[in-house]
Amino acid sequence: MEVDWQDWRDGRKDVTIEVCEQIPVTHCASTVTNDIKMNDTPDAPAVEIEHLTKLFRIPSLRKQTVLAVNDLSLTVGRGEVYGLIGPNGSGKSTTMKVLLGLLHATSGKCSIFGRDSSQVDSRKDVGFLPENPYFYKHLTASETLEFYGRVCGLTKAERRDQNARLLKLVDLEHAKDRRLAGYSKGMLQRIGLAQALVQNPRLVVLDEPTAGVDPSGSRQIRDLILELKEQGISIILSSHLLEQVQEVCDRVGIIYKGDLVREGRLEDLISIEDQTEIILKNASAALLEKVRALAMGESTEVISIGRPRTTLERLFLEETQ
Amino acid sequence: MNDDDHETPDQKRTGYSGAALATESQPHSIFSPSRIWALTMHTFTQMVRMRVFYFLLFFSAGIILVAFMFLRFTPEQELKLLKDVSLGAMSLFAGIFAIAGTALLIPKDLEDRTLYTILCKPVPRFEYLLGKLLGMLVLIFVSMLFMDALFCTVVGVRQKILEKEVAVAYDQELAKYPEREQNESWKEQREEALSAITENGLRWDLQAAVWAIFLKASVMTAVTLLVSTFATTTLFTIISSIAVFIIGHGQHLGRSYFLSGAPDGGLERALAGALAVIFPDFHLYDIVDAVVSGETIATTLLLQMSGMTCLYLLIYTAAASFVFSNKEL
Repeated sequence: MEVDWQDWRDGRKDVTIEVCEQIPVTHCASTVTNDIKMNDTPDAPAVEIEHLTKLFRIPSLRKQTVLAVNDLSLTVGRGEVYGLIGPNGSGKSTTMKVLLGLLHATSGKCSIFGRDSSQVDSRKDVGFLPENPYFYKHLTASETLEFYGRVCGLTKAERRDQNARLLKLVDLEHAKDRRLAGYSKGMLQRIGLAQALVQNPRLVVLDEPTAGVDPSGSRQIRDLILELKEQGISIILSSHLLEQVQEVCDRVGIIYKGDLVREGRLEDLISIEDQTEIILKNASAALLEKVRALAMGESTEVISIGRPRTTLERLFLEETQ
Repeated sequence: MNDDDHETPDQKRTGYSGAALATESQPHSIFSPSRIWALTMHTFTQMVRMRVFYFLLFFSAGIILVAFMFLRFTPEQELKLLKDVSLGAMSLFAGIFAIAGTALLIPKDLEDRTLYTILCKPVPRFEYLLGKLLGMLVLIFVSMLFMDALFCTVVGVRQKILEKEVAVAYDQELAKYPEREQNESWKEQREEALSAITENGLRWDLQAAVWAIFLKASVMTAVTLLVSTFATTTLFTIISSIAVFIIGHGQHLGRSYFLSGAPDGGLERALAGALAVIFPDFHLYDIVDAVVSGETIATTLLLQMSGMTCLYLLIYTAAASFVFSNKEL
């Protein structure tokens, strides 16, 4: 079904909400391609996960297993910021690790820009910031970026340029020659983000990028994510800070006990289905009375008509409790 | 999403990154020596900055002490003792580096999640392992180089001092008894005393012993790396590697026992074969005692040792790579 996103954004139509709800969860994004080729194609989404299941074997005499991810499918479009949220142990990190080739899928497949993500070459386009990274404490920030640039195969000139650009981007120029052992948590997260960007990836995967960071540091990281979003980099973000997810993400998926229980555009997910909100400008008290009756005024400008929103936090709690 | 939206992200991204990186358009290479070298030098730097070279101070102090402490021995005994203790210390330190240093590498990277940030880049797992292995080998090589230089200097200096002392002693004796200058037997005795010092002093064979120690440590590094790919704790890695080290020294005995007992027995042959494949034969590298005694080491033996070391490194690294590529991180 064709969706006029411009009309939707301008608030001229609210039909889009219904449209999106009719599309199955895993195929809500408009960039889904059914036929994923193994080479990067302009049509391939940034990430496509199809029916991913991951079982962990528990070392014991009885061959017990734990289901970490169950038949999960999702798609992240190019330039999109996708928020993956869920309680601890819900399968977020496992999904990310399978996507990054750190774990092997029990069944299903993942692709990055159309390439099988278990293949090393797919990672040319990926930057990853793991949860609570420590990095090599014996290296300075400059040396860290130099090292990651080298393993990414950047030339000397490229490494020098990237080093300067990224240190500026993450605001660590003043501390570039200090060893990471002396860095604060926020600084470590920022150098982590810089290393994730060292080879100019088209996809960045951030696992709890603000975990343990103070509000000021957290805001800095949020601003960096917004800057990356502005530059059109696809981002998968896992976070417990739902307010932050709500601020930066285009689409959100909620994982609970390995299942993707809800997924869709943030605006769609947090709108309340059976209510309508009318916002009026310069409305008199008398007019408001009439509006109450007719919900329409002669000289009143209707700014927007839509559904009042809940918060992502409330939705999250409803879905996972 | 319309077509314009579809094109925008990549176009915008170019704006973020400035000029596109030359490497972005290049196909990914399965094997990259420059990547491996980056990982090698990083591992070397990591170990150096963990201040592992502090042990060299202990080594230096130790051999200088030995060189000038045992003055009651004969010159030959003194030099033998110096060589024995120094080569033993080299062997010990190289072994500690090989086992303890290597055992720490992967678990530490895993614990700090730095392993994730590396393997999420376009780095094949075998290159990561190879980088770690080579980094440790470079570290051991540089340590051995330092120890060898110090060892040779101390032995050389002690040899010169002893030669001088012996020559002075004989000269004093000659001054006291001038008639001995005509005594051929006395002259021979003097020459023998001096040549005994030379024979037990600096010789090229000492380098063969140092090389053997390095090769043995290299094999131990590869074994430890293999164990650490499947071990769950560092302690297990260290204990298992020490066990392999001990078994490796007795491997030739077990092998000859199985084969001599029943030369035609299939099971015995299989056991002997398995023993030979699984455990390295460290007996091959035991040339230190011979070198200390002043024996000459054949070049063919050195070539054989070097060849076997390459084979061991290949086998253990391939096995480590196989295990590590299937490991869930």
